[in-house]
Amino acid sequence: MNHVLAPGMEGTAPEFAAQEGLLSWVASVDHKQIGIMYLLGAFVFFGVGGIEALLMRVQLALPNNHFLSPDTFNQLFTMHGTTMIFLVLMPMLTGLTVYLVPLMIGARDMAFPRLNALSFWIQIFGGIVLYFSFFDGGAPNAGWFSYTPLSEKTFSSLPGQDYWLLGLFAIGIGTVAGAINVIVTVIDLRAPGMSLRRLPLFVWMGFVNSWLMVMALPILNGALVMLLIDRELNAHFFTPEAGGSVILWQHYFWAFGHPEVYIMILPAFGIISEVIPTFSGKPIFGYGFVAASTVAIAFLSLSVWAHHMFAVGLGHLWDVFFGASSMAIAVPTGVKIFNWTATMYGGRLRFTTSMMFAVAFLVMFTIGGLSGVSFAVVPLDWQLTDTYYLVAHLHYVLFGGTVFALFAGIYYWFPKITGRMLSEHWGKLNFWSTFIGFNMTFLIQHLLGMMGMPRRVWTYPALPYWGSFNLLSTIGAFVLLFSMLVFIWNVFISLHEGALAGDNPWGGWTLEWATSSPPPTDNFDRVPPISGRRPLWDLAHPELADELVGRAE
Amino acid sequence: MSGILTLNPLSPQAAAISHLFVDILGVLGGIFLIVLVMVGYAIVRYRDRPGAAPPRQVFGSRKIEIVWTVIPIILLSIIFGFTVRSMHASDPPITPGTTPDLRVVAHQWWWEADYLKSGVIAANEIHIPVGQRWLLELDSADVIHDFWVAELARKIDMVPGHPNHIWLEADRPGTYLGVCAEFCGNEHAWMRFRVIAESAADFDRWQRAQLQVPPKPSGSEAAAGLKLFEQNTCVNCHTILGTPGNQSIGPDLTHFASRTTLAAGAADNTNANLYRWLKDPNSIKPDTHMPNFQFDDADAKALTAYLETLK
Amino acid sequence: MSRSKLGVSLFILSEANFFVILIIAYVYYHTIPAGGPSAASSLDPWRTGAFSICLFASSATLLLAERNLRRDRHRAHFCWLVITILLGAIFLVGQGNEYARLITGGVTWSRNLFGTTFFTLTGFHGLHVFGGLCALAIMATVALTAEMTDRRREAFAAVGMYWHFVDAVWVAIFAIVYLWAFV
Repeated sequence: MNHVLAPGMEGTAPEFAAQEGLLSWVASVDHKQIGIMYLLGAFVFFGVGGIEALLMRVQLALPNNHFLSPDTFNQLFTMHGTTMIFLVLMPMLTGLTVYLVPLMIGARDMAFPRLNALSFWIQIFGGIVLYFSFFDGGAPNAGWFSYTPLSEKTFSSLPGQDYWLLGLFAIGIGTVAGAINVIVTVIDLRAPGMSLRRLPLFVWMGFVNSWLMVMALPILNGALVMLLIDRELNAHFFTPEAGGSVILWQHYFWAFGHPEVYIMILPAFGIISEVIPTFSGKPIFGYGFVAASTVAIAFLSLSVWAHHMFAVGLGHLWDVFFGASSMAIAVPTGVKIFNWTATMYGGRLRFTTSMMFAVAFLVMFTIGGLSGVSFAVVPLDWQLTDTYYLVAHLHYVLFGGTVFALFAGIYYWFPKITGRMLSEHWGKLNFWSTFIGFNMTFLIQHLLGMMGMPRRVWTYPALPYWGSFNLLSTIGAFVLLFSMLVFIWNVFISLHEGALAGDNPWGGWTLEWATSSPPPTDNFDRVPPISGRRPLWDLAHPELADELVGRAE
Repeated sequence: MSGILTLNPLSPQAAAISHLFVDILGVLGGIFLIVLVMVGYAIVRYRDRPGAAPPRQVFGSRKIEIVWTVIPIILLSIIFGFTVRSMHASDPPITPGTTPDLRVVAHQWWWEADYLKSGVIAANEIHIPVGQRWLLELDSADVIHDFWVAELARKIDMVPGHPNHIWLEADRPGTYLGVCAEFCGNEHAWMRFRVIAESAADFDRWQRAQLQVPPKPSGSEAAAGLKLFEQNTCVNCHTILGTPGNQSIGPDLTHFASRTTLAAGAADNTNANLYRWLKDPNSIKPDTHMPNFQFDDADAKALTAYLETLK
Repeated sequence: MSRSKLGVSLFILSEANFFVILIIAYVYYHTIPAGGPSAASSLDPWRTGAFSICLFASSATLLLAERNLRRDRHRAHFCWLVITILLGAIFLVGQGNEYARLITGGVTWSRNLFGTTFFTLTGFHGLHVFGGLCALAIMATVALTAEMTDRRREAFAAVGMYWHFVDAVWVAIFAIVYLWAFV
């Protein structure tokens, strides 16, 4: 039974001692501290984005309401979308990835610790640049995808739009840097025995996801610089009077934007792929298929972008092609849902808060995925796109999907990160209020869209049931506010009084559970031997070790 | 049900979409139920109980994987087939060279309707004859907008530099609500329009009335209003036949009083609302491009009186 | 592959995507007939070709620098590195010269779509050349003043890959912008 030294940065003096004090965090290049900072920063922005949403929901609670002016409302929905995507979901997933990947592969840190820190701080800088716009004439207000020519100087003369462009440009660079780091880490720093086929699925998904980031974010940055040049140098990329094409912006944006939504869901899939097996007491069903379907999704995601443009009038040929590719991508996604569900069959399911969020994810994400399939049916998209049905769809996949998965992951790994257990009592309250609040807010929006309510409207007329359905949705949003306060309370008291976690409170099988909670600076004193996908299972059950018993693929 | 506009089709094109929608909802609902039952059964049946045996470590099954990969592929292929068919029915092809009947140009934040065959120019309310399939050309004077009358047709963007075309027809007389469905700036929410389908006779009557030059108003208040219109900068943005005003920066007002709403659906077209609009446009439609001319009460009343004579 | 080379390869992949987006815009707008100055009317492929040869040659001299480093011939390595930097700098000067000529001749970013796409595409390439020159200068300083440890050799190899990439991008841009216009 030979434990080994974790691979690290051979040749450098490991001066990563976690010193006391705030300043040590700012200067830290330790992946665990950086991961925690990603999570904390993202959570702060989650609060900001949430308040932006609540303000909008108050305005929309009644027809013909005047709580907010149209311009304020438009700034809010622009900032809400931009914040949630770039400053909340992506950094949260990156934070968990950066924290866990080295641990899960038995390494001491990421391949490029300083680049890791740089990626984080660039992202924070980008967020600050974006929010600075509030102090310089107002936040951007052309929507989170800033369609031209509305976002050109002629129609958006204030600098808010430029802050959006610059902030996102910085975030794009940070994201690519982070992705490169993850890829090199996974390729180069795996502990002996950890072949690529034995990677925990969270690591595999993060790995594939990072390739997608390397491919997609530069497309965004290209588009951003073109629009910046249009705005600041009076150029003509997207101005029709000079022969520019406003539709080109959409192609570019969605060529980034569609992979982007998969960038936001693949690590979430990774979380679910860890949580459900642990709390079912059995390995993931169909590891190979789950891993392969991830690669399929990544490739396909680069080929579906114009399904965001079915209403643009590109012509039936475009619409048919992208409708087909969009339906195709539903297949590997659906496969995963079946695999996770099958994992539970024959298991001994422990309904910890983490598991409850994971199971709810299965149902919520299915709803979001199915409404997505309805959009792939092109004529349905011709009715439903740009309505509240679409707002419902995107929230079911990004909130019901990614956010629920994030909660599952946080409840699962909080003990490892902090050394203390989150309260299950407050956790259950957190879960139920989130589940109820979320569905109350967004389920009815499918119907509102079908009734003809377009999206991005600061108010609406008093048509039958528009008011009452919107009011229901607003109430749901406040239930969500309550659930987030419960979560914050849970974190607060657990940090102070939570039960001590120990190395492996859940009986997990991957390497992060083979070290103390929280892990020491160099992650492992010694890495356990790796001869399968579940090193700790193999250690505890040598006669039943996975690769001894044989896998069914 | 009639409030669910996407499921209340009143044209063959909208009906094609609506029928497909109901079918798809059924299929997707069925799939959802299957998943719900599968998950629901698992969480009940396999709940950890005291004394339960340790679970069998199962790694997967190639057979099952193939089955639940192939079945969705087949299902989606069938759905795809229906999709293509419905695309044809709901957005019928247009023979190149067909001249449009109506050209709708979107502005921030109102709709210009140019009747290419008769020469009528209207705004925000589009009359069409029942049962006739018209070809619409859709364009934009500024940013991207979107033309959406859910009960009658698909939505389609109005893209500056890229004119689009759709068919528009209505099975029955009625008033159909339309909205702009692509965020176009501050008053996107109040960029609404109406399609009013009427019998051929009624439509002809409407068209002829729209082509009339309005007579000079008889009442003194209305006459004062006309003078105000001509002497102020109103003429720099608005057209009223018979006056110097001939611009289309703002809606054509020649037959303003024949419309049911003002400010592209922001308020009903009543004397009181029109007066409020003229006194302070932002009170009805904040951030509208219509300036606040700071009219005093008498002037605003006069203009209201004049505009309401423009039937 | 070493960690540094792997990282730089991925960085190159991301930058390649960025340039593809700019190139697509150039190509798309080049195929749309428009008024005003065009590539054919404003560019001089011979003059630019001369400066381009300097850039291409710098890849060759960089290869020589790399080979000398492998053989621990540090002075030769340093010399070839300096020549590489000089050739790259000459390229940039040539570019700057061309920009000055075009701008005084009325071809600017805002003039028309040719101006917009030309300056954006070549401008970002120039920026990348400049960045590469900075990196090469740092490596030259290290080569002159410090010991070339294994890590530093890896870093140099990575910077070298980046420089060759920047060169390759110019091959594409030169062909698409300067040569295609005259075909």
